[in-house]
Amino acid sequence: MAQELMLEKWSSAISVVNIGATKEEGGSRSKVIKVGGQATLPFLFPEGSIPNKPVIAFEIWDSAPMDWPDTLKQPFADVLNDPLKWAKKCVDDFKAELLCLKLQGAHPDSGDKKPDDEAELVERILKTVDVPLVILGCGDDAKDNLVLPACSEAAKGECCLIGSAVQDNYKTLVAAVLADGHNIVAESPIDINIAKQLNILISDMGLSVERIVIDPTIGALGYGLEYAYSIMERARLAALSGDKMMACPFICKVGQEAWRAKEAKAKMTEFPAWGPEAERGIAWEAITATALIQSGADILVMRHPAAIEKVNKYIDNLMTNDKIPMSK
Amino acid sequence: MGKFKITFYPDNKTIEVEKGKTILSAAISAGVYINSSCGGDGVCGRCKVIVKRGQVVSQPSGRIKPEERKQGIYLACLTTIQSDLEVEIPAESRIDMDKLTQDEIDLRLKGLFSESEDVQAQESAGKEIFSHSPLATKLYLELPPPNLEDKISDLERLYRQIQRIREIPIMQTGLSNIRHLGELLRNSDWKVTVTLGKRNETTEIVLIEPGDTSVKNFGLAFDIGTTTISGQLVDLNNKKILGTKATYNKQASFGSDVITRIIYAQQQDGLEKLHHTVIDSMNQIIRELVKENNIDLNNVNCILCAGNTTMVHLLLKVDPTYIRKEPYIATANFVPTTRAAESGIKINPRGLLSCVPGVSSYVGGDITAGVLSCAIEDEEDLCLLIDVGTNGEVVLGSREFLISAAASAGPAFEGSGVACGVRAGRGAIQKVKIAAKTFEVSYDTIGKANPVGICGSGYIDILSGMLETGILDKDGKIKEISSKRIRDGENGREFVIVFKEDTASSSDIVISEVDIENIKRAKAAIYSAAITLVKHMELDFKDIKKIFIAGGFGTYLNIDNAIKIGLLPDLERERFIFVGNSSLAGARQILLSYEAMKRANEIARKMSYFELSTEVKYMDEYMAALFFPHTDLANFPSIKIK
Repeated sequence: MAQELMLEKWSSAISVVNIGATKEEGGSRSKVIKVGGQATLPFLFPEGSIPNKPVIAFEIWDSAPMDWPDTLKQPFADVLNDPLKWAKKCVDDFKAELLCLKLQGAHPDSGDKKPDDEAELVERILKTVDVPLVILGCGDDAKDNLVLPACSEAAKGECCLIGSAVQDNYKTLVAAVLADGHNIVAESPIDINIAKQLNILISDMGLSVERIVIDPTIGALGYGLEYAYSIMERARLAALSGDKMMACPFICKVGQEAWRAKEAKAKMTEFPAWGPEAERGIAWEAITATALIQSGADILVMRHPAAIEKVNKYIDNLMTNDKIPMSK
Repeated sequence: MGKFKITFYPDNKTIEVEKGKTILSAAISAGVYINSSCGGDGVCGRCKVIVKRGQVVSQPSGRIKPEERKQGIYLACLTTIQSDLEVEIPAESRIDMDKLTQDEIDLRLKGLFSESEDVQAQESAGKEIFSHSPLATKLYLELPPPNLEDKISDLERLYRQIQRIREIPIMQTGLSNIRHLGELLRNSDWKVTVTLGKRNETTEIVLIEPGDTSVKNFGLAFDIGTTTISGQLVDLNNKKILGTKATYNKQASFGSDVITRIIYAQQQDGLEKLHHTVIDSMNQIIRELVKENNIDLNNVNCILCAGNTTMVHLLLKVDPTYIRKEPYIATANFVPTTRAAESGIKINPRGLLSCVPGVSSYVGGDITAGVLSCAIEDEEDLCLLIDVGTNGEVVLGSREFLISAAASAGPAFEGSGVACGVRAGRGAIQKVKIAAKTFEVSYDTIGKANPVGICGSGYIDILSGMLETGILDKDGKIKEISSKRIRDGENGREFVIVFKEDTASSSDIVISEVDIENIKRAKAAIYSAAITLVKHMELDFKDIKKIFIAGGFGTYLNIDNAIKIGLLPDLERERFIFVGNSSLAGARQILLSYEAMKRANEIARKMSYFELSTEVKYMDEYMAALFFPHTDLANFPSIKIK
């Protein structure tokens, strides 16, 4: 006897956010990355359409990262000091379709780079590569309020995704993004209520909720991943049931969290039983990413090319099959 | 150790105290009131005094600005006495404590609303549903003198005569009455008046007097609130209210919430002090009521009190320590009727004191009385009672069931923990309108006095107005708008309500982002308590047909504004019923009817208590309510704030 699937019908869908603008749209990107648009929970193809696949943004920094483990530095060893070369390497060698520039060097404790210099860097990266760009501030509110508007202006017309707006500091960034035609990352501390409140506050300033990408804040495997999962699932259930203020794609900072885990970076000499760290760190990042994809992540900011390659394969596998995929 | 003379102005009261005592403690001994929300911990900054003459030693405090220190301003609680002193208490540190004016009492009891919301607080208590059988009854008896055929004893004779008039099965009499009985009956020609008191299930002969005094039978109903104490004198024969008085609960000097007071009670003499403070306030009210009505104190035969569990413990001088400690157990929720004199209440020395039974450690007899006076247990339709106070209680139910919860809302709505907050007394800004675009503020104060600060209802109007005019974002942050009223202050950005030229104090009356945060938390606690309780019963706000708003503060509520800030659920405004002081109304009903007393006992037994602090969903609801009006705007369809 044929089994019939019980299907859930949803009334709403996640909004589609376009990152990047081509020449016709007033920018200089070779293509536009579309994220979101799902009318169902992750990969339940029979229940609703899933028009866009999850995408991975390669994370690059404006200055050489000091605390990255060797495994992570190794693939970019020759370019870590030069953000332009680093960007080019991601696109040329690793076929990156999206870049995420982290302006860590602007932080008062790690370089204190000037807003003008960061803006110039953004401009030069946009000239060097033609993929769309995500720009993330250093996390120091006062400094980000100087740096990000400058970068936003420098990238005017390119329809970047810029972050992060937080509940106590969103107004300056929203105003900049609104003026320069970008999208915004709205970051909340693993709290569905604050996520929604922030989206309401941002849209109250006149930026359409369709230009918001939610950073729900995630934890790596073993560090609260399941908590992030439940928050993302609750947000999606609300969004699909008609809550427009929750109907935004997710961006997850996978690399940052996964490579903070002791299990990802500890050397084999310290923990012989854990096996070689070169494989372990990559696996940790890849597994964190795949779990988050199943939670509904739309943009994954990742670091190691090998991990990215694995996850891209996983995504392709999920997306090429319009049935619920079987494990291989 | 030397003693020094301290003189307080403008009271002009002098007291001798030992060197090294604080000015605050000297003021309490002298019977001079100084605000002290934190109970003398030096954190609230409310007890500023000016030392005019003499030597003091003061601990440093961030609450005193350098220029204030130059003017000789100190915190009374952190400043010790080193010589004879002359101390002035500025207006901002001394709200008219002694008495509310009659106007203010009327406001408190009847309610006060804006023109558009001109709803009278409904005396739902007025419903004549309970038979008239007061806590104390007087009967005039003409006994047949004994003779050789009718030889029963004097006491049995008295009982027999009573039972001929009333069906009273069980009776008891104190030895002191019996000792005088033989002589009394014979001296009064066998014509006496007996006062019968209900003592739980039995009836007691409280008093036997010669002749007929039965027309003079009075009783008192009291609501003992954390902030305000209200008392009412009632003629027990005809149920007439002869007068109502209110005074602030002077226990506030020991802390503005029940928890701080429970902690204070554990200090040496702490319980004693708290007990005496409340009894003094009550006796003061009683004295004035009796005097104004020209009544002999001996004809006041009973007093009925409703209060939260902690207040009742302190009233009876019962240690409240275990209310605060897990698993939060009160010494008694159902307190047997006792003699009022045992607790120091000055009425007829043999008069009775009864307390409305409570439900749990955090839902007290005031709520039982509230439910009784709103007659929720008689309603077929679903009702909700919200008592907006420091401890925000919520009761959901009908004839079928009653469930209660208590949320620690904090004292923001009662004017504590907010920089320019005052209790709803003389000079408190209670009604506010903010003009669009110009942001000009118009306001009303209680008693039309010069403004001294803002009370709860004023804060609700202010927040609603700030949201509506776009000064405030939904998160409670003041926007960067160029206006002379918006500026950066010590506690973040602030909005000026009244400039100092127009106030009774020497500084501007403002609302800061920190204040707004406190009010946001208070309203979130109350709203989320209500919604958690409603959802726990698998119901919806829409199912609730009547919402009773109670509390001294609640009587001032502008419903529409309270909904706009998300304190109350967004339902048709007609469903809200103001009941003013429902606790006092319930206490009066019980005073006048034994039936009501039995009903109150049933209510307290029937009502279940839902503990919010261990409920995971409550925290989630609370987070969602920390927004104006609420994160889930779909629940506030009538609110269109841009």
